[in-house]
Amino acid sequence: MINFYGISKVYDNGCVALSDVTVEIPKGDFVFVVGPSGAGKSTFIKLVFREELPSEGKLIVNGRNVGELQASEVPYLRRNLGIVFQDYRLLPNKTVYENVAFAMQVIEVSNREIKKRVSQVLDLVGLRHKEKCCPWELSGGEQQRIAIARAIVNNPAVVIADEPTGNLDPETSWEIMKIFSRINKGGTTVLMVTHDKTVVDAMKKRVIAIENGKIARDEAKGVYGYED
Amino acid sequence: MKMVRSLEMRPKGYTVMKTRTVEYFIKEAVGSLRRNVLMSLASIATVALSLLILGMFLVMVLNLNNMASNLESQVQISVYLQEGLSDVETREVGTRITKLPGVNQVLFIGKEEAMTRFKQRLGEQQSILKALDDNNPLPNAFEVKMDKPEGVKPVAQAIAQFKGVENAKFGQEVVEQLFALTKMVRIFGVVLIGFLAMAALFIISNTIRLTVFARRKEIGIMKYVGATDWFIRWPFLIEGVILGFGGALVAVALINELYGALIQQVYESLAFLPLIPQYPFITKISIIVLLIGTVIGALGSTISLRKFMQV
Repeated sequence: MINFYGISKVYDNGCVALSDVTVEIPKGDFVFVVGPSGAGKSTFIKLVFREELPSEGKLIVNGRNVGELQASEVPYLRRNLGIVFQDYRLLPNKTVYENVAFAMQVIEVSNREIKKRVSQVLDLVGLRHKEKCCPWELSGGEQQRIAIARAIVNNPAVVIADEPTGNLDPETSWEIMKIFSRINKGGTTVLMVTHDKTVVDAMKKRVIAIENGKIARDEAKGVYGYED
Repeated sequence: MKMVRSLEMRPKGYTVMKTRTVEYFIKEAVGSLRRNVLMSLASIATVALSLLILGMFLVMVLNLNNMASNLESQVQISVYLQEGLSDVETREVGTRITKLPGVNQVLFIGKEEAMTRFKQRLGEQQSILKALDDNNPLPNAFEVKMDKPEGVKPVAQAIAQFKGVENAKFGQEVVEQLFALTKMVRIFGVVLIGFLAMAALFIISNTIRLTVFARRKEIGIMKYVGATDWFIRWPFLIEGVILGFGGALVAVALINELYGALIQQVYESLAFLPLIPQYPFITKISIIVLLIGTVIGALGSTISLRKFMQV
């Protein structure tokens, strides 16, 4: 599903974020990406949804060579990727329902289909009863669940999460992780950058540790392995 | 599978737009115009003013051109005779003119005849004549008609050398002056219009930039969920076009009113000035002005979109 072959990323200012990274993430995997701050984790996932371009190497996402995509093809790549951020990034002046529906509107899905699908994903994250609320009326955990609903509403092949529980308390974090687990069981690949030791250690999923731009560990049922 | 389908069903360059999508674009555009009412009105006013001046210059230049080509096609030379010429001398001048090449017809216009014609041309403004106290300052003259406009200039120059001839005037002299004037007006107009168009462009792109800024979060999310660049651009483009077209509409209405009033004035007091009739002339000008307004609007928003679209 996601294959890195000798990927390096050097930013314009000369900063080396990744060097010669090779890793394969098959379809349906649940992968934690861990490592110290500034090790290259964010660059790693930004390359996947082509926010950044690799400086060297070949990156295949969902059968497409990301490095060779035309700018006009990027939207179609992203339609197969659901992205969840630490700060939720919901639209404050839209309701919960509208926030989720928005992701379908902008790729021109019919209203009938939008209605059906939005209800489905709101059920999945357990917030259908709040569909008329605005984001500011919700707790952080609830907002993140809406963000997840938005990320998966278009049935992406991969869900990419950048520290999705970074702003949440441990109990809420668990709820969020359960949702990701459920999504993954449905066959969706999950790629998650996290600093949450408890979560990583308890979930016993594949762990890729990045240090100084290189893969330091890649374990099938790994642990967090850092002291923060 | 659904996800694969969505990737493959929409090849590059797939641009059929759904009605629902168009509705969404227009709603977004109008919505953001409403949010920035003051800025939108300022943009429309700037565009209107710029295009008003542009339109007026266009009207002026085209009218001058029209006058010039009217005169240019005239094949007539007016030969004014010196005062106190005897009948014999006068007749001799006439005969000499007739023998020149290309001359078709020579007509004598006496002082009195000239005055009668002048009175007709003045129309309602007969009061000017009172200042003359019944003195007739107009000279005796010949009206010389030529075969072709090309021969006019050398013949007129030859006649001017004849004994007893004060001077020989023909349309092309005026034409040359008119062309010089048109050229000046044109240069001045182009510079002015350039500046004004820049101002209009600047204020529209600024207005759009405000909208873009207000909605940068939304735009970011749109990009992450896979909206195409054009899907994101359209509402802003429509907003810019509405501003440009709106301003042009105001300008067109004003130009129409002003030209109507000008023609009215001219008919009443300067009837001999050959202005181009209001319609379809102003209709054509309006189409040009509306087009320019629309282009300025689209260009203005494109300028401010170019920066943030490169992600």
